[in-house]
Amino acid sequence: MAPGVDLLVQFFPSFAKIVLAATGLAIIFGIMGVINLAHGEFIMVGAYATTLAYNGALGALPLVPVDPIGVLPGAVQLPAAMLTGVLVTALFGLVVERTVISGAVPNWIAERTIGRPVVKPMYDRLLDSMVATWGISLIMVQLVRNLYGNSLNGIGIPFGQFSYGNGLSISTYKLVLAGVAALVLLLLYVVFVRTDYGMRARATIQNEGMAKSLGVDTERTYMATFALGSGLAGLTGALYAPLQTIVPGMGGGFLVEAFVAVVVGGASVVVGTLLAGGLLGFVYALFANVWGTFAGRIMLLVVAILVIRFVPQGLSSLVERIRDRWAEVS
Amino acid sequence: MTKRVDRRKFLAGGASIATAGLAGCALMGGGSSDTIKLGILEDQSGNFALVGSPKHKASLLAIEEINNDGGINGQQIEYYDPDPQSSNDRYLELTRRMVQQRDVDALWAGYSSATRETIRPYIDQQDQLYFYTTQYEGGVCDKNVFAVGPTARQQLGSVLPYLVEEYGPRIYTIAADYNFGQLSADWVKVLADENDAEVIGEEFIPLSNSQFSSTINRIQDADPDFVMSMLVGQNHTSFYEQKASAGLDIPIGTSTAMAQGYEHLRLDPPAMANIYAGVNYMQEIPTNRNTRDGGFVDRYYDMWPDAPYLNEEAENNYFSIYMYKRAVEQAGTTDQEEVKAALESGITYPAPEAPDGEEIKLVPETHHVNHHMWVMRADENHNVEAVDDRVIDETFLKDTVGCDLTSKDEEKQYTPQDYYEEAG
Amino acid sequence: MATDADSAGVLGRFVDAIHGPNTMGESRRFWAAFGVVALLMVTFPLYMLESAVTNMSQYLALTLLALSLAVVWGFTGVLSFGQVAFFAVAGYTYGIVGINVAGPLGTMAGLFVAVGVAALFAAVLGYFMFYGGVSDVYVTIMTLVVVLVLKTFLDQTAGDKWTIGEAALGGFNGMPGIPDLALGIGEPFLVFDDFTLFYAALLALLVTYLGLRALLNSDYGRVMVAIREDEDRTEMLGYDVKRVKLTVFTFGGALAGLSGVLYVTYFNYISPSELSLTAASLPVIWVAVGGRKTLLGPIVATVAIERLGLFLSVNVGDWAFVINGLLLLVIVLLLPEGLVPGLRDLVSWIGDRRDEGGTDDTTEPSGEVIE
Repeated sequence: MAPGVDLLVQFFPSFAKIVLAATGLAIIFGIMGVINLAHGEFIMVGAYATTLAYNGALGALPLVPVDPIGVLPGAVQLPAAMLTGVLVTALFGLVVERTVISGAVPNWIAERTIGRPVVKPMYDRLLDSMVATWGISLIMVQLVRNLYGNSLNGIGIPFGQFSYGNGLSISTYKLVLAGVAALVLLLLYVVFVRTDYGMRARATIQNEGMAKSLGVDTERTYMATFALGSGLAGLTGALYAPLQTIVPGMGGGFLVEAFVAVVVGGASVVVGTLLAGGLLGFVYALFANVWGTFAGRIMLLVVAILVIRFVPQGLSSLVERIRDRWAEVS
Repeated sequence: MTKRVDRRKFLAGGASIATAGLAGCALMGGGSSDTIKLGILEDQSGNFALVGSPKHKASLLAIEEINNDGGINGQQIEYYDPDPQSSNDRYLELTRRMVQQRDVDALWAGYSSATRETIRPYIDQQDQLYFYTTQYEGGVCDKNVFAVGPTARQQLGSVLPYLVEEYGPRIYTIAADYNFGQLSADWVKVLADENDAEVIGEEFIPLSNSQFSSTINRIQDADPDFVMSMLVGQNHTSFYEQKASAGLDIPIGTSTAMAQGYEHLRLDPPAMANIYAGVNYMQEIPTNRNTRDGGFVDRYYDMWPDAPYLNEEAENNYFSIYMYKRAVEQAGTTDQEEVKAALESGITYPAPEAPDGEEIKLVPETHHVNHHMWVMRADENHNVEAVDDRVIDETFLKDTVGCDLTSKDEEKQYTPQDYYEEAG
Repeated sequence: MATDADSAGVLGRFVDAIHGPNTMGESRRFWAAFGVVALLMVTFPLYMLESAVTNMSQYLALTLLALSLAVVWGFTGVLSFGQVAFFAVAGYTYGIVGINVAGPLGTMAGLFVAVGVAALFAAVLGYFMFYGGVSDVYVTIMTLVVVLVLKTFLDQTAGDKWTIGEAALGGFNGMPGIPDLALGIGEPFLVFDDFTLFYAALLALLVTYLGLRALLNSDYGRVMVAIREDEDRTEMLGYDVKRVKLTVFTFGGALAGLSGVLYVTYFNYISPSELSLTAASLPVIWVAVGGRKTLLGPIVATVAIERLGLFLSVNVGDWAFVINGLLLLVIVLLLPEGLVPGLRDLVSWIGDRRDEGGTDDTTEPSGEVIE
């Protein structure tokens, strides 16, 4: 075994899994203070929507004359199906946000019937949002199982294999995913720093009251944020659909990585997720390669516990401290 | 102020009363005493629904066929089939309910070994006649339990020698990291020893794991002649796709894939190419009883046209219900002790897994079945064909351990580690 | 005042102790209703089928688990997904001791050792978290991760090398053959199975409920609630917040451990499925639905939800989880305080509306003393 090359190649899928699992959750938690325990199920929705679209379900919808995915040239079909998955999940996220998280729709109905709002918004109600989203997750898993059965026919893994080292090879798609993960982080950075929305979102994180009095429509910002977070979760589901079996409970396989990464990463969405993906991805790749998947998983969780304990504000706070100290020195 | 306080407190108390009442609502339930009552507890939802649902359906098929044919000794079968939802807690609650409230004459319950072990103490306490129909690690010598599914030794013992002859003696084992997987891996070592082969590496993978890059890597590094795979569950199914995509095309022998979860129909080819399953039954086995017009497969889909597959365990449920029928007819009564004695007299049945003219036998001493085993191979297009078949007796309990339930009552599970050096 | 307290004696002091602003239910009417319910429960086996009684003893054992979370979360503000970890650790420990040491002495020792081990585990984890400055949601996630680590580890403990004495941990398949809790020396003179277990669980619940009422309404209880409401302010007022959280967390672990021992006596079996994500979230569901700032709420909710779960799985298997999830959603959205306080508020709202209408029956004083 050529340990160096081996480890490097194994690092990529590990990094990709953690980063892609975490981004959607990190955004929603970081900006809205809502813990979405249904995050795994959002990923599942993305995977299901992608797989169904790829297998021609769009054509079966009422009012749709022909399957839009089927008429595309072969190579574009999968990306088109993935895009569908992302959009469906973002839309679903929007619905959840309007009904459960902000309570806007039930309150609107209540205003017109009994004359007062019935639901308090979930922002910054950390523990309540956990319970509510857990309820959503239970409903979604069972609903999907009842509607679509225990398993869907899957999508084949695209691209071929990549050979390296001494007779070793890896599915090229897994390496591609690492690149996509990095790209997603880069795009998020651009969104937060360069767009109007990003500026409003950052203002809302820092000081909601002040942002509101300066004219920021925080409600709109939250809605957009939840949709963005859901869309990202849907992207993860779409990307992993070819790699895994499509079953109603598949979200559970991402939940742990996502939570652990968000907590290890800390307050900053982009920097935190990047660092968490790097550290935890490396730990997993190292231990899984030498001692097997069980060791990899346990060590990932142990390292996460240690980081939470000794750097309770997350890795991104370490970066802040270093940056501040540099600023002082220079 | 006074009135409001009164009502407030009262209702809190009242809520408790209502709940207590609701909690007690377990009433009635007996059927008439001139029917035979069977309990069928199979997962219709939850984690094991994919493999549990065919078991449930095949059980109902057998019962309907028997009832249409006049029942057992003229009595119709009445069955109870609540859904345990893949939860061991529910299994225990429902088992208690089956025994105490419904007073079932025989019970079929559970997919996983964990479920069986959860309810076995209660079964033994109540001396309830119990059929366990899933393939499992083997070794249960219990006077109340009839484990009619194939054991790991029977399954692996059908495919491993074939692969050693075809491909060579260097074996790499990958298995799910829990009892069934670990015990099966032990049996691979024992069988390798018996067939002049060698296990050059083993990896145990947690049930929740669905990413296999490092596993694939380690297999490639070890360069075996073939791989033995005892992966279990939905997450592990991804291994086959990922290995195909990584270009790993080494032959793989398995006791768990294809026959239970029909991966060859769910995954895109060539994920399952060159996979050899050692099983007693799969929808595709080429016996007349199975594939002829009006055969087992036809009858199953006539009753359940929307079913996705007819899996290995479903056939076990099916023939064991018929075996129960034969035992009751022989004993002349549904009294459970007498039926158990009848089952211990050497009951046989022409099950779909056996070719014409052959009947599979329920071994009196061990309560296990000498199965007709098949080696089924999937090609690049996922067409499945039989490459080898023979009857394999259950030998571990009978010969190695010496379990003899006709002369001595026991309620224990034995493991290969106690008897074979190679397994330790 | 002093003479009043003296003449009231022990009973009076006890009654004083269990009344206060932190718990619900103080009037004579409340205690009357409580007495009625208690009577109904004590006579439960007389009018219910045996399977209903044994099921109920399981639910009663679980109410202790719910209460352990209620104390830690509802009254001290620490949302822990880890109560099942202490529950399971105690269950396994009791099993190991009970299988290895024969007879009732073994089971009694098992009970004490199990609760002790659970408390110790909680103390170590609590120390690690609270004295390390981990707070709020990170505590919650850490407890969740601890549960997952434990589960992953236990799942793979199949095989003979994972045996402690005569007890095999059994991995994913679990550890069967755990003996019933029994009292006696040599020969058991009281074995806790079926009806006896039911009464033992009921007694344990009663004692725990009254004991918790006393605790929560004491000075210490007020500190706990203060921490829940505003941790920083409590710290600045001079209370050792870390120590209180650690103590309460340890106590919660012990209580969860007791629940585990009783539960394992019912099943005679334990497996890592008690540590799954679903199992870890059940106490949270019970407490959230029942009302996390009350004691009665979690008790009622646990029994109701578990019983409903059995009913649903028998009758509408497919839709059971959907209904559970909907229940959770509705409660958190519309009755965020929980079911029991919500019912209480609903009742008083109805009372308000009726009072607005009628004029005759509001003027009579009923002569009751309310605190």
